[in-house]
Amino acid sequence: MASVIDARALSIAVLAVLATACGRPAVTSPPNTEPAIAALPDWSGIWVPDVEDQFKQVDSNPLPWKPQVAAEVKRLTDAEAAGHPKGLFANCLPEAMPAWMLVSHNALEILFTPGRVTMLGESDGNRLRRIYTDGRPHPGDPDPSFHGHSIGHWEGETLVVDTIGVLPQTYIAISEAVGVPNNGGLHVVERIHLAGADVLLDELAITAPNVLTATWTTTRRFTRQKGPNADILEGVCLQGSFAEQTDARGDAVFVPVPHTDEGNPVPPPAR
Amino acid sequence: MSRPLTALILVVAAVTGAQAHHSSAMYDQQKTLTLRGVVTQVRWTSPHVNVSVLSDAAGGQAGVAWVLEATSPGNLMRAGWTRTSIKVGDRVSVVVAPLRDGTHGGWCRGVTLLASGKRLEC
Repeated sequence: MASVIDARALSIAVLAVLATACGRPAVTSPPNTEPAIAALPDWSGIWVPDVEDQFKQVDSNPLPWKPQVAAEVKRLTDAEAAGHPKGLFANCLPEAMPAWMLVSHNALEILFTPGRVTMLGESDGNRLRRIYTDGRPHPGDPDPSFHGHSIGHWEGETLVVDTIGVLPQTYIAISEAVGVPNNGGLHVVERIHLAGADVLLDELAITAPNVLTATWTTTRRFTRQKGPNADILEGVCLQGSFAEQTDARGDAVFVPVPHTDEGNPVPPPAR
Repeated sequence: MSRPLTALILVVAAVTGAQAHHSSAMYDQQKTLTLRGVVTQVRWTSPHVNVSVLSDAAGGQAGVAWVLEATSPGNLMRAGWTRTSIKVGDRVSVVVAPLRDGTHGGWCRGVTLLASGKRLEC
């Protein structure tokens, strides 16, 4: 074992020298103080978002939009109320951070492995958050991504997650039809913990300096379901945009079906 | 597959519509409408399950092709559905929130299989 540790230490030293030689400061990770998996709280099963509560949270605790952003939010809200929803996610790109946590209608599961907490969402195959709990810091210049770069640590039975590096195009959303791009500089801190046997709360503090006047704190509620009938199903967002057919060769194929620009269903023609 | 059958499937697909991930705000959730008819297609796909129903002829009017949307397969499964809970040819009574623009589409609230009386919540 000692030789393995020595080899690891040597590798880290070599990497640090190489990084420095390449003009980048060597990154030194703090010690990993992550508890053993068996000592972590039981978050097994799947977690179903409380959609009704999502709306209550926004109604009782509105976002501090900048004035020009508030006008756009009102326009989108009015359009949705009139039956013309924008369809923020109709393009099947990920709901992404922070909208996935804020407005999703679909379940997720949370996996614990050493050094990492992984969130896997249902309905879109591209809902995936990797939260590193091995003590590493954020990279100095993270590649922007839909879910950003997340590091976490445990404070008792609460997982504290810090996320940066999110693409500016991802929405701060209050419904599936009302939201605005975060426009850069997004920082999300979450405190995720059980509140009773089968309720999981995600307390979010969202800082988005280009659209919000202050950090917005809000809570999202998820309820647990377990058992074979609750298992997460595979979901591929674009599958619904294709019909299963048999082509002239007799092969089973997918073919596109028509849709509106908003991605909404095309009703059948009047007869 | 024969050309006529292929053409028939294309027509069915054309009225099925897309199911990209979208808001249900185009449906008027304040209204309900009950349809009786026969299931002509079931699409058990994410992010929205889609059921086509040909409503019964009534009052001298021919039946109408309706496209009904529901939530995702996962959410329906947790409400007691399976992929084969409703099949093509089943006679059903369906409660829907209709499209606001008056065309023949609706958001599924519940389905009753008329042969068995079994009720499925959407």
